[in-house]
Amino acid sequence: MNRRFVLALIVGAPFAVSIQAADPDLPSAESILDRYIEVTGGKAAYERHKSEIATGKLEFAAAGVKGAIVQYSAAPDKYYSSLDIDGIGKVEMGVVDGVAWEKSALLGARIKTGEERAQAIREARLNAPYHWRELYSKVETAGTDTVNGEDCYKVVLTPKEGRPETMYFEKKSGLMRKTTLIAASQMGDVSADVIAAEYKDFGGVLIPSKVTQKAAGQEFTTTIDAIKVNEEIPAARFDLPAEIKALLPKK
Amino acid sequence: MREMLGRLRQTHFAILSSSVYDSVQGDVEGPGSPGIDLRVLNGQAIVTSLDPGSPAERAGVRAGWIIQSVNGKEISPVIKRLLADSSVSELTLTRAVLARLSGELGETISVTFLNGSNTPTVMQMDLVAPRGNPATFGNLPLQHIWYESKKIGRTGYIRFNVFLDVVRLMDSFGKSIAECRDCDGLIIDIRGNPGGLGVMAMGMAGYLIDKPGLRLGTMYMRDTSLNFVINPRQPSFSGPVAILIDGGSASTSEIFAGGLQDLKRARVFGTRSAAAALPSIIERLPNGDGFQYAVANYISEGGKTLEGAGVQPDVEVKLTREALLSGHDSVLDAALQWIRGQQIP
Repeated sequence: MNRRFVLALIVGAPFAVSIQAADPDLPSAESILDRYIEVTGGKAAYERHKSEIATGKLEFAAAGVKGAIVQYSAAPDKYYSSLDIDGIGKVEMGVVDGVAWEKSALLGARIKTGEERAQAIREARLNAPYHWRELYSKVETAGTDTVNGEDCYKVVLTPKEGRPETMYFEKKSGLMRKTTLIAASQMGDVSADVIAAEYKDFGGVLIPSKVTQKAAGQEFTTTIDAIKVNEEIPAARFDLPAEIKALLPKK
Repeated sequence: MREMLGRLRQTHFAILSSSVYDSVQGDVEGPGSPGIDLRVLNGQAIVTSLDPGSPAERAGVRAGWIIQSVNGKEISPVIKRLLADSSVSELTLTRAVLARLSGELGETISVTFLNGSNTPTVMQMDLVAPRGNPATFGNLPLQHIWYESKKIGRTGYIRFNVFLDVVRLMDSFGKSIAECRDCDGLIIDIRGNPGGLGVMAMGMAGYLIDKPGLRLGTMYMRDTSLNFVINPRQPSFSGPVAILIDGGSASTSEIFAGGLQDLKRARVFGTRSAAAALPSIIERLPNGDGFQYAVANYISEGGKTLEGAGVQPDVEVKLTREALLSGHDSVLDAALQWIRGQQIP
């Protein structure tokens, strides 16, 4: 959720990428996104990542809620994560073969649909920044702004399914610092600001290890402690849980 | 700050003393309890139930007895003073009296009751750890959570004191539903339940609803609306459902009862709920106190604002001392009668 949540926002839908620059004085969105790939490790480094196992923690500081997170990702877009939140228990999420699901003791099991499903599938894409051309149908440089005092380019990315997301890339370093988006959820649409910070080298790729999400008047932070790259992940790790299988339409 | 927040006359705005967090149970009077639950009926503190195996039960206290004094201090002046203030809720009133029955673990209190024959009866009772398992969530003070489930004839009966301790409570609730496959109805008793985690209402409602896309209500924040959507879950219960509420049923209890009432999935029995349903969070202040503040409004599925109005029962039934003394719970009896009337001949 942590890294996926941010990096997957640099993703989109297959083919037909339309690249526009709103202002001729501004760099094209394509060049900004490609620069991001370069400054975070380059094409070859991304291509070496075939799977990842990330561990970290999450904290909803204002409410005093903490938890642990582990997430498994395998190319191209298999994903499983487990959040163990104090006082709530385990919340599992996954994506496999186009099925995006969620399961918890709190709310039971469900299959995501519509825009929420599309977002989950984008977020599940391993090496999402590297695949932005496949994941977004339109990208556009929309101006400049500052994030935490740093001058940034604003890039609006429109996925094939769903509403545009805006990313802020630091002019100086080329690193992505913030994303604003409408997160689709079963409970409704939520405007979110996602701040990416503390980039660290994980297997040759720079990844923001601290991500702060501000949404619905609340703020929570996820911190990645470690990412094991290309560690073998048993195929069964991504299998749909029985409760989810039971919800699939009968063939 | 407490004074200023009090003048707002809104629920879910409060300063929780740091001692609340330091205390084992989260009660400034002390964590020890004799195991008595009570309600103020007609200006008198009446014992309504006893925790199983508690010092009060072992001492022979009975439902329906009137609590006259604790350690020589009369209770009635406290009740009179609080009842004179129209802003004091039933929940606050009950808690104020319960606080006088609490103290440090291992202490002994002397309580004078009026028993069933209206004879003054003095009993010494030890104070022990409250019923249930300690649990907390975030900055909420530690609380003891208990859950009970049983069958009354062919009717399932579930009762729990707070919507917290998610893993244990949701698991217990799911098991109770599974064991109630052949029940003629289900009674969920949330009288005196002050709420807890709002989303637990959605999770529990999922066991009672088999149609996707329904919701209990909507939480309105400054820039976002969140629907309390119900995910149907297995095993589900499709028979008649009665929910029991009273003035001590607040917040998540109201979201749960009000939503299922609006969806016509449950019939609500008892008295009006606490009318305190603002979603809130609690932040710790630099001095260690907790600051609780509302972050949203909540509208039940039928369009009702629960804050200030509460959930109106479909069938209003009040507890009476007389019924309690004769071993009856008039609210529970009314629900049972309704469920039995739903049976298909």
